[in-house]
Amino acid sequence: MSGLREKILSTASDLFQTQGINSTGVDTIVATAGTTKMTLYKYFSSKELLILEVLKTGHQDFQTWLNDKLNANAKHPAEKLQKLFDYIEEWITAPEFNGIGFIKASAEFPKEDNPVHMLSAEQSMQFQEYIKQLANEANIQDADGLSLQLSLLFKGAAQAEQMKRGSDAIKYAKIAAKILIDGSLTR
Amino acid sequence: MEIFDSPWLINMLAKSSKTPQGRLLALFDILHDWLKAPSFEQTSVTLGASSLPLVSYCLDQARLLGAENPELLAEHIVLIAQNAARHAIAQPESNSLIHAKKVANALIQAQTQKTGLAANLKGSRTVLYGVAASMVMLIGAAAIWAPMFMHSRSAQAQLAQTEQPIDNSTVNAAENQSKALTAIDASRMYAKYEQMRQGTCQFPEALQIPDKHKSIYLENVVGGKLPTDLADLGVANFYLEKVRCNFTPMLMAASK
Repeated sequence: MSGLREKILSTASDLFQTQGINSTGVDTIVATAGTTKMTLYKYFSSKELLILEVLKTGHQDFQTWLNDKLNANAKHPAEKLQKLFDYIEEWITAPEFNGIGFIKASAEFPKEDNPVHMLSAEQSMQFQEYIKQLANEANIQDADGLSLQLSLLFKGAAQAEQMKRGSDAIKYAKIAAKILIDGSLTR
Repeated sequence: MEIFDSPWLINMLAKSSKTPQGRLLALFDILHDWLKAPSFEQTSVTLGASSLPLVSYCLDQARLLGAENPELLAEHIVLIAQNAARHAIAQPESNSLIHAKKVANALIQAQTQKTGLAANLKGSRTVLYGVAASMVMLIGAAAIWAPMFMHSRSAQAQLAQTEQPIDNSTVNAAENQSKALTAIDASRMYAKYEQMRQGTCQFPEALQIPDKHKSIYLENVVGGKLPTDLADLGVANFYLEKVRCNFTPMLMAASK
């Protein structure tokens, strides 16, 4: 049943988000999802595989949400770039705190050869590529540089917010993003 | 990565600059050089490492420069430095620490400029006054600028014409004529410098400016010295336009 698989995925995702990935045991996941270890291992052969699936789904949700928001609310490419941090703020400061999976995961799995770390690094790169695409569409000369700057700004803000909720990190990041974007537009 | 916990790093920062902003931004230069050094061996940056002494050093600097939320600024800057160092190890050609420095600089601006969060949260009245004041300045500026533009355009046209040499002597004469700075140019330039002095101004970062323009920018825009010829004046004007000023009258700023 794929319904059970979805249930396990979303339960694990919530628990990872609220309690941390390492400190959430498989026992807790199956108990909360109301299933058995056997069922969990039928769908995900290991905890690591489950973590990877949770990360993939979470990242896809985030990207899709962000993309839809930008497409619906900004017409011009430059406007999309400007609004990017508004929606990131919306996502991060939402009461249910969706969090940014790949940032949390890379902090919990700092070893570079760990598959979870590798996936989160890849997702981080994908996100930077996404910003670069927006910058290219907005005809920004140094799209590489700007996308790296914005992605560093965003990562740091999300980490600061993760350490201390309600830190205003993303609000200042928004102002800083505008300064960086304006600077690259006028060149 | 031990460098974030090393007393050496903090010593280097303390020596780096006379201003707190300079000391904060030096973090990125020092890391950049350190990672580029030939003796540097492959290492990894452990994320989430507390780097407490470094954060608390940065916190002191953030307080000194008057940041609205110094704790956050210090934390965010150290996080950015760690992420960028890690990125630099994975992709040395990306110059990520140079970019990270720009990010940190933008964050410092966001935390210190009057249009920052604190200003937005305060009564909209001061903002309205500010807007009104800048409108007046804008109109004033436009009045000063319009003839200036025309003048520099005609000078350019003259230069363009002289590029097809008809006769050497006329070319030289025309060039001399167009390059010399008139009294009107000078007085207009002084008016602009004076105008800048009355507000709190934010200058574009010199690093972002092409090398050949850097000295003109530093001397004639930041330094407020009159350029010696028209070509330089054009360049200086271009950058002058990018200087953003907040002309909230002093009294009003003090009463906040």
